[in-house]
Amino acid sequence: MPNSTTDTVRLTIDGHTVTVPKGTLVIEAARRVGVMIPHFCYHPKLKPDANCRMCLVEVEKMPKLQTACSTPVAEGMSVRTASTVVNDAHKSVLEFILANHPLDCPVCDQGGRCDLQDFSHQYTATTSRFVETKRVFQKEYFSPLIETQMNRCVQCLRCVRYCDEVMDVKALAPVGRGTMTEIKHFGPHPLECEFCGGCVQICPVGAITSRLSMYEYRPWMLKRADTVCGYCGDGCQITVQTKNEALVEVNSSLGAGRNNGDLCARGFFGFRAVTHPERLTQPLIRRNGSLVPATWEEALEYVAGQAARIKQAHGGQSFGGLITGRCTNEELYLFQKFMRAVLGTNSIDSSARYGHLNGVQAMRRVQGTHRWAASFEDIVRADVLLLVGTNVTETNPITGLKVKESVKKRGAKLLTIEALEPAIESISNVANLSSQHLGVAPSQFRTAVLGLVKAALELRLLDPDVVQQHPAFVAGVTGATERVSWPAVQAATGIDREAYANAAAALAGSRRLVVLAGQGLLRGRHGYSASVTLLELLLLLGKLDRPGCGFLPLAEENNDQGAVEMGAAAELLPGPVDIADRAARDRLVKLWGQEPPPNGGASLVEMLDRARAGIIKAMFIVGENPVASLPAQVRAGEALRNLDLLVCQELFLTETAALAHVVLPAASSMEKAGTFTNTEGHVQAVRPAIDPLGDSRPDWEVFAALSVLLGMPWDYAESKDVLKEIRSLIPGYGALGPTPIPPKVDDAAVARYLSQGYQEDLAVRYMVDDPVAKIDGTLQLSLVQSLFHSGKLSTRAQGLLQVEGAPALRINPADAARFGVVDHDRVRLSNTRGEMTTSIKIAGRVPEGHAWFPDHFSAAATPLLDCTIDPVTRVPYFRSTTVSMIKVA
Amino acid sequence: MPRHELILLKNMSQPGYTGSLADYEKAGGYQALRRILGHVPPAEVTAIVMKSGLRGRGGAGFPTGVKWGFLPKDYQGPRYLCCNADESEPGTFKDRQLMERDPHQVLEGIVLACYAIGAESAYIYIRGELVLASKILERALGEARHAGYIGKNVLGSGVNVEVWVHRGAGAYICGEETALLESLEGKRGLPRVKPPFPATHGLYNKPTVVNNVETLSNLPHILTRGAEWFAAIGSPPKSTGTRIFCVSGHVKRPGNYEVPMGVTFRELIYEHAGGMRSDKPLKAFIPGGASAPFLTPDHLDVKLDFESVAAAGSMLGSGGVTIMEEGTSMVWAALRLMEFFYHESCGKCSPCREGSSWLVQTMRRIIAKRGRMEDLETLVDLCKNIAGRTVCAFGDAEVAPIMSTLKHWRHEYVELVREAEAANLIRPEPAVRP
Amino acid sequence: MLREKYQSEIDDILSRYPVKRSALIPLLYLAQRDQGYITESAMKEIARLLDLTPPQVYETATFYTMLNLKKVGRFHIQVCKSLMCALVGSDTVLAWIKAKLGIQPGETTGDGLFTLSAVECLAACGTAPMMQINDDYYERLTEEKVDRILADLKTNGTSPLKSGPYMWPEAAQK
Repeated sequence: MPNSTTDTVRLTIDGHTVTVPKGTLVIEAARRVGVMIPHFCYHPKLKPDANCRMCLVEVEKMPKLQTACSTPVAEGMSVRTASTVVNDAHKSVLEFILANHPLDCPVCDQGGRCDLQDFSHQYTATTSRFVETKRVFQKEYFSPLIETQMNRCVQCLRCVRYCDEVMDVKALAPVGRGTMTEIKHFGPHPLECEFCGGCVQICPVGAITSRLSMYEYRPWMLKRADTVCGYCGDGCQITVQTKNEALVEVNSSLGAGRNNGDLCARGFFGFRAVTHPERLTQPLIRRNGSLVPATWEEALEYVAGQAARIKQAHGGQSFGGLITGRCTNEELYLFQKFMRAVLGTNSIDSSARYGHLNGVQAMRRVQGTHRWAASFEDIVRADVLLLVGTNVTETNPITGLKVKESVKKRGAKLLTIEALEPAIESISNVANLSSQHLGVAPSQFRTAVLGLVKAALELRLLDPDVVQQHPAFVAGVTGATERVSWPAVQAATGIDREAYANAAAALAGSRRLVVLAGQGLLRGRHGYSASVTLLELLLLLGKLDRPGCGFLPLAEENNDQGAVEMGAAAELLPGPVDIADRAARDRLVKLWGQEPPPNGGASLVEMLDRARAGIIKAMFIVGENPVASLPAQVRAGEALRNLDLLVCQELFLTETAALAHVVLPAASSMEKAGTFTNTEGHVQAVRPAIDPLGDSRPDWEVFAALSVLLGMPWDYAESKDVLKEIRSLIPGYGALGPTPIPPKVDDAAVARYLSQGYQEDLAVRYMVDDPVAKIDGTLQLSLVQSLFHSGKLSTRAQGLLQVEGAPALRINPADAARFGVVDHDRVRLSNTRGEMTTSIKIAGRVPEGHAWFPDHFSAAATPLLDCTIDPVTRVPYFRSTTVSMIKVA
Repeated sequence: MPRHELILLKNMSQPGYTGSLADYEKAGGYQALRRILGHVPPAEVTAIVMKSGLRGRGGAGFPTGVKWGFLPKDYQGPRYLCCNADESEPGTFKDRQLMERDPHQVLEGIVLACYAIGAESAYIYIRGELVLASKILERALGEARHAGYIGKNVLGSGVNVEVWVHRGAGAYICGEETALLESLEGKRGLPRVKPPFPATHGLYNKPTVVNNVETLSNLPHILTRGAEWFAAIGSPPKSTGTRIFCVSGHVKRPGNYEVPMGVTFRELIYEHAGGMRSDKPLKAFIPGGASAPFLTPDHLDVKLDFESVAAAGSMLGSGGVTIMEEGTSMVWAALRLMEFFYHESCGKCSPCREGSSWLVQTMRRIIAKRGRMEDLETLVDLCKNIAGRTVCAFGDAEVAPIMSTLKHWRHEYVELVREAEAANLIRPEPAVRP
Repeated sequence: MLREKYQSEIDDILSRYPVKRSALIPLLYLAQRDQGYITESAMKEIARLLDLTPPQVYETATFYTMLNLKKVGRFHIQVCKSLMCALVGSDTVLAWIKAKLGIQPGETTGDGLFTLSAVECLAACGTAPMMQINDDYYERLTEEKVDRILADLKTNGTSPLKSGPYMWPEAAQK
């Protein structure tokens, strides 16, 4: 029966008939009927290279054998993959590949999961006819993290191709030619790259392996646990491999999780952080001024006793709670329940307050939902992408891969509004892929968005429905933008009208438009209002409610999104819903047997203010470190010292934990069960790979135990019981499916916004921010995330410290010349608030006039920073300031 | 004195001909350009070339007009012509002479081809070692640009053609057209997987034609004197025109001889090249460059055209005819060529990469009288497992010397092995380098 | 730095190609001309000029035999050892040069003057045996001719015995 549709093709493979989409490769079609054609160089993520010649098959009417990895299917094609001729070909190719192979399987870390072993087992049981001298490559040192053993290499170039096609890093070079081709970096230099581990993962043999666990295992000795990486909001699925409770390696298999098997340096090489020798393994109580070991009973009873006393004396409002978005949903939920129901306070906050709430609150306001209206798949499928304030490669590397795939493989057009210079360096740079890059200072991202809106309005690029149905909205926004002149926009952003017009036209002309906003925007001074304006731009262009389109704010911590949804914020109940929402409060009364306290809870910085003022007397801080994270000006340390009770649940004795009265050792995400909600709103299971280290316990167990000791006992036997309760309250926490279906925007909410919602702050949002004055000898210092670190865990990860062990101030080569400094020079930064000393690293991706200091080492920089609070979202802003710099000896 | 009319080597055979623009013009050069550009539609030019029967002179012998015809008709973006001047096939040295002695003939051919295929840019990818030829071409390009034969609006026809010389840097494989394109793009010269073919996805992924120097040099003549004239020369209908055969080895007068296709090897070797250099008789010859299987004196009356040589079990290839006299060891000769292929294997495909080193080592062992009888079977097996199993034709080429010498002179291999057995030296080399 | 020294030549090279990477081999030649071989810093500079990573430059540079990543002598003698030359005595020529200079292929004379290589076919089979020294071909070699060439190079830095435009059979006037 001939195929009636034109986009599928019918063929037979070894007698099985299969219908597949046009363009499918024979090797992929074969897989569909369960036929595995042996291969080395083929990989679904890579363009066919057909170099290993392993996948030769017979195709009817073709005189020569064809490579299944490079031959697309054709209607009526008949393929034979197991005929004598094909088997002989497979055998002979294997014989060639094995000729120079050292056969050192006994000492090869790949042994047991090696394609070459498996195919050899399948095809060549005979002894080799090769009696000549084997090729020997000189062993060369490649990298502290990655080992190469070129004698084992089958020259399939998967590593090289992955590094280029998927990562866009291009750090691997096939060197020499012919049989002497070997994979190197640059001459004798050790590898410098993103250290994503992709080459290790994609190598079909033992030529490229991880040095972190070299010679420590045989694959079959390893116990595996599929769980979720805790290093950023991308939520990559990782497989943690352990041997006798020791972490041996982390990897991710093709097709796994939202990351489809791809990882970044943090995910691949950062896993040893949790077993760092400084891990807290027993409770500590402050006695005579110093923290000394105690039993859990002592510690919990002390905490409960003090808490009960304070509550008795000062009421629930004297408590404050701060929790990290690295905790599981179950823990976040129980934490806010503990603070609200047991202690009676609404002064709750999480790391989402540092920026993620700006994006979420903007979405709630304009589109009426709190999650992305698109998924990672939509990023890949987008035809136009706009990135605002997100050096996505370094903050959310796997989201970055989706962007790269969209642009490099599918030809999407990328527009970037970034404080990032296009530059070829050892790590990839998303601005290099941009077809229109608007290099804008972080302080001017909002103005740049304004420029886009203004251009869209002037060019009449608007959605006709919006124009027709909401003329007042359009007129309102038009009026607001008209009050701003192009010269003012250009003076502030350095970008002229034509560039905005081109960008706006590209956005308007798209079918599937995805806007990604990252830390630069969300943690910026106007993170919230710029997010609202970006959503407004989508509204004007008619893209907001279109399938495949959306505004996607990127979460920083792995579960910042979950923190918001669990209600770990003063103004939000689980859902999230507004604290004042009557229906939600009623539901909680029914579930908790008690009403949450009324509005008026303090957020992050307010809590510290209240602590300093003596209003808040006790704080529970779970995994957060405000002393090192917030500017010195906030005086977090002073505030915490003023407390009667400071309880910290921590992995390490941080600057904050060091001030505590009680420190409780927490289990890491490798040691507990639960769920994380990633940046796209996908809820994923976290599974323990090892037992909790020492006496450490999962955080939720602490809250449950305290509830008992404080006389309001909960009955949760395991974290699943908590999840059950969450499910009854919050949609989207049902089955943990493999692919999330993004919630559609709430049309009623959008209509409300268009008719009224936009008005309240319109004039304020469409203001041009004064450009930061450029003064000779000064630089604009920004805290930014580095690819290799994401906070206190990564800075204790042996692998990551080998790549980036100490903080350095990154500056542009032109500035380096201006200040007369070179790499490793020491410099002192100062302003009216304070000073710091650090060393220099020159990087082309830093825009001129700017200096980047890594966020995860930010404690040193806190004296220089000042802090302002967003009036709507109460997000503290302190990421950037002006400093002068001098070289010191 | 040649008995046939010279076409390509005619100008340079004139006394005092320097290859300068003035000389070339005096000899009737650039007349085709004047006649064709802007007057004969490109499609018609392609039709003429197709009708002439001109086939590629680089080695594969693909009909030139047909190759041009594969370019997408409606494609709007840029197209490219690449002149394959990466003459590297051992035994071949004709393009060098065409470029060094009559560069304008090549350039005129290039501009005509560009016109026919609608390319505004052409790159002459010249073998890196041919420094003198590239200098001569550069000088000729300067003259041609100055005279308006190359550049914007050539001869007022509205046609733009820019031509650049791009030097390779030492890699035989870059004579393979897709490897050439990769190299021209600044990459390692690894052949591409086909399809897609250069006609649709060539240089910078744009429609591209790659033509050999000699092929292009024929164009001014075909387009001046007509397809019928050309198609009548040689051995019509399939092998038309003349070819420059490069004769090397044990003959009296090695050199380039332009003869109509279809003359016999006997005529080429004994009349043109003056016969054997000494009293030793002919033992073997390679008819078309190192990639072509060896032939024997039995094949002397085979005609030098594509079909006849193929029928004799070899190929006309690049036109490099290498003559070997009695006394030449065929095992040694095959090894010399095998060493060449081993050195030049790009390393992309496993069978060729690993097979070439294996073959070389086994051949060296046999020559060193450390071979075993089963090595001969292994050689044949390896050759069969390489041929036809690689991305490009290199795999087929590299096994030709061993396969053909084993076929015709197996006894020489056997003798060496027997000697090895007699000397009781049959142990293989140890597995580590001494 | 190449940029300061050869700005206009670099600009001219870049102007020939719509895609920058195509200028890679020409620029590597430029670097080799400048220093006699291609240095690491030259590769890094070329990478910057062409928006490539240094490994991308390196992988190309190591593929081609004419690009030297190590220092070679002032005169790089490359004797063709392929079959066509071997049939008419290239092995003898090579042995003669080895004995003359006291070096093996791959080595450089103590005075840094000569580097010897045995190379594959250089497309001059009709005038074998032959060799290339730097840019020039020397053909129809004999032991005496080799002696004269080496002596010329030593004393004058060049030899009149180098080949001009190839012609054989020779033009009619001869």
